[in-house]
Amino acid sequence: MRKRTLGGWDITGWIFLILLLLFSVLPMLWMLITSVKSQFAAIQYPPELIPANPTLEQYYRLLSPTSEVGGQFLRYLWNSIVVSTLTTVLGVAVAVPAAYAFARFRFPGRNALFFSVLFRNMFPAVVFLMPLFIMMRWMGLVNTHASLVITYLTFGLPLSIWLLKGFYDNIPVELEQAARIDGCTRFQAFLLVVMPLSAPGIIATAIYSFITAWNEYVYALTFLNSDEKLTLPVGLQRFFTEYATNWPGLMAASFIMSVPVVVMFLILQKYFVRALTEGAVKA
Amino acid sequence: MAQVDLKDVVKSYGDVDAVKRVSFTVGDGKFVALVGPSGCGKTTTLNLIAGLLDLTEGEIKVGGRMVNDLDPKDRDIAMVFQNYALYPNKTVRKNLAFPLKMRKVPGRVISEKVEQAAKLLDITHLMDRRPRELSGGQQQRVALGRALVRDPQVFLMDEPLSNLDAKLRVQMRAELKRFHKDLNATVIYVTHDQLEAMTMADKMAVMNGGILQQYDAPERVFEEPANVFVAGFVGSPAMNLLPASVVERDGELFASSKGWELHLSPEIASRAQTASTDQIILGVRHSCLILHDAQEPGCVPARVYTVEPTGDLTFAHLEMGDESVVISTDPRHRINADQTVWVEFDQNRVHVFDAVTEKRIPPS
Repeated sequence: MRKRTLGGWDITGWIFLILLLLFSVLPMLWMLITSVKSQFAAIQYPPELIPANPTLEQYYRLLSPTSEVGGQFLRYLWNSIVVSTLTTVLGVAVAVPAAYAFARFRFPGRNALFFSVLFRNMFPAVVFLMPLFIMMRWMGLVNTHASLVITYLTFGLPLSIWLLKGFYDNIPVELEQAARIDGCTRFQAFLLVVMPLSAPGIIATAIYSFITAWNEYVYALTFLNSDEKLTLPVGLQRFFTEYATNWPGLMAASFIMSVPVVVMFLILQKYFVRALTEGAVKA
Repeated sequence: MAQVDLKDVVKSYGDVDAVKRVSFTVGDGKFVALVGPSGCGKTTTLNLIAGLLDLTEGEIKVGGRMVNDLDPKDRDIAMVFQNYALYPNKTVRKNLAFPLKMRKVPGRVISEKVEQAAKLLDITHLMDRRPRELSGGQQQRVALGRALVRDPQVFLMDEPLSNLDAKLRVQMRAELKRFHKDLNATVIYVTHDQLEAMTMADKMAVMNGGILQQYDAPERVFEEPANVFVAGFVGSPAMNLLPASVVERDGELFASSKGWELHLSPEIASRAQTASTDQIILGVRHSCLILHDAQEPGCVPARVYTVEPTGDLTFAHLEMGDESVVISTDPRHRINADQTVWVEFDQNRVHVFDAVTEKRIPPS
């Protein structure tokens, strides 16, 4: 047998992957390192690569509800959780039946409707900033979490529906027919047979909605103006101006903010990959 | 078990009628095959009986009870699908138990019946596997088992064997036939394979273009096809269908076409004369033609196009005028392509069809 040698392309591939890895991991690492430094150590030059006196002081401060900073931070965190969770739950609740209908039923205007759902994605989100703000003001929703949830749903639903439709398209209709003959109503067939099979798609859709809502900045900045309503991305920015010199505090806050996303991704990434590749192989 | 009646069943999609006024009765405990080419409406008819589609017109009765407006689950039927439609996330045991569970059968009875069905189908060793871990034949058995556990009034089967390889198909065919006999079940079986229908069914319903062409016992369908379509569809290789005009010369009748002419026997001649015009179609199976190497009286010359030995029989494709004719012969009879041969018609077994109505003209 011929020994497999590393070709030029293999090496290029490895270099590319290593660069990509450094690109995504280094900022995270630097964030983590800075967050455990003292304020003085954080602005030292040349920077300490390994903190000489690591401290969790910033984390204590941020997570203690009694301190002023902590109270503020925890409120932002709570706001973010509320907005993102609502967006996710409502998004899934709408996307699941919509995608199922697009996949299974033939109704007049089905194609037109499906593509109009995707039409929104042709434009960058910022284009809608002013029109939506005016609409929200008209509806009296400015400075409410509802305005954000509605906006995030509008932006997130098209992809969610598209993603889930791929899943339903791949579930043979005979499974539902079999279930109906075996004693299910149409709805039971959907609930007991189709839903479990589309769980990976639903999970992926949920993660996607959650992360998008969790990270969104521009709309949150525009629609919210009272301090107690702010979500984390905007709140962190306030941190930045008010506590500009407190780099470790900012980094600690950023780290806490990224934890839910990373944890969710780590646990559920296999579903996510499956959802995005589903239908890619099958013609 | 129960009788199934279809009366003037119509299914339309907008302006298109997929099933046109189909009526037939499946006797209690009978095995009926719905057979026809793709798109002939056979699967639609089955789905109408199952209740997976809504009727446009007509009546369907199961065991004398009108089921037109009943949900599939309330019709007391079971169905086996072409792709088996096993629940992929459930084990074999749970797949088998599902129909009983949905009907709120007590747990003890469920496990009893599931075991019983598994034993009958010889799948007891597979109970804890999932469908994707099974071979095609095993999946097929599980699908059958899921239909069996419930003791339904009627079994509906939609091409259940067509995803199996040829050898397994023959084996499962025999098993299905045996189950039907042992359970005394009413079975409606959809297939596009006329051989499957011939070998398994008590009666076959041949469909084409949404219309029921003939509903009869397989032997009858084979021996007395109602029209040109049935004649050409049933039997393998297909019946030779030769359009010709009836010509009279010196008080004798001939079937005449471009490049060949056949002197008709008095009996065939009298049948040909009852056709609505002088245009007829002669139907001859490969086995009703006899091949001669040299010219003989009453024979029609033809050129050998190709020869297909199959072991027991050799099939020869002949060019007779503009028509292509398949003939079977003893493998010891050596023939070669491009050779000229003479074909004798066994006129006692020739079918005459009216070329306009395409209906068979029966012997008077």
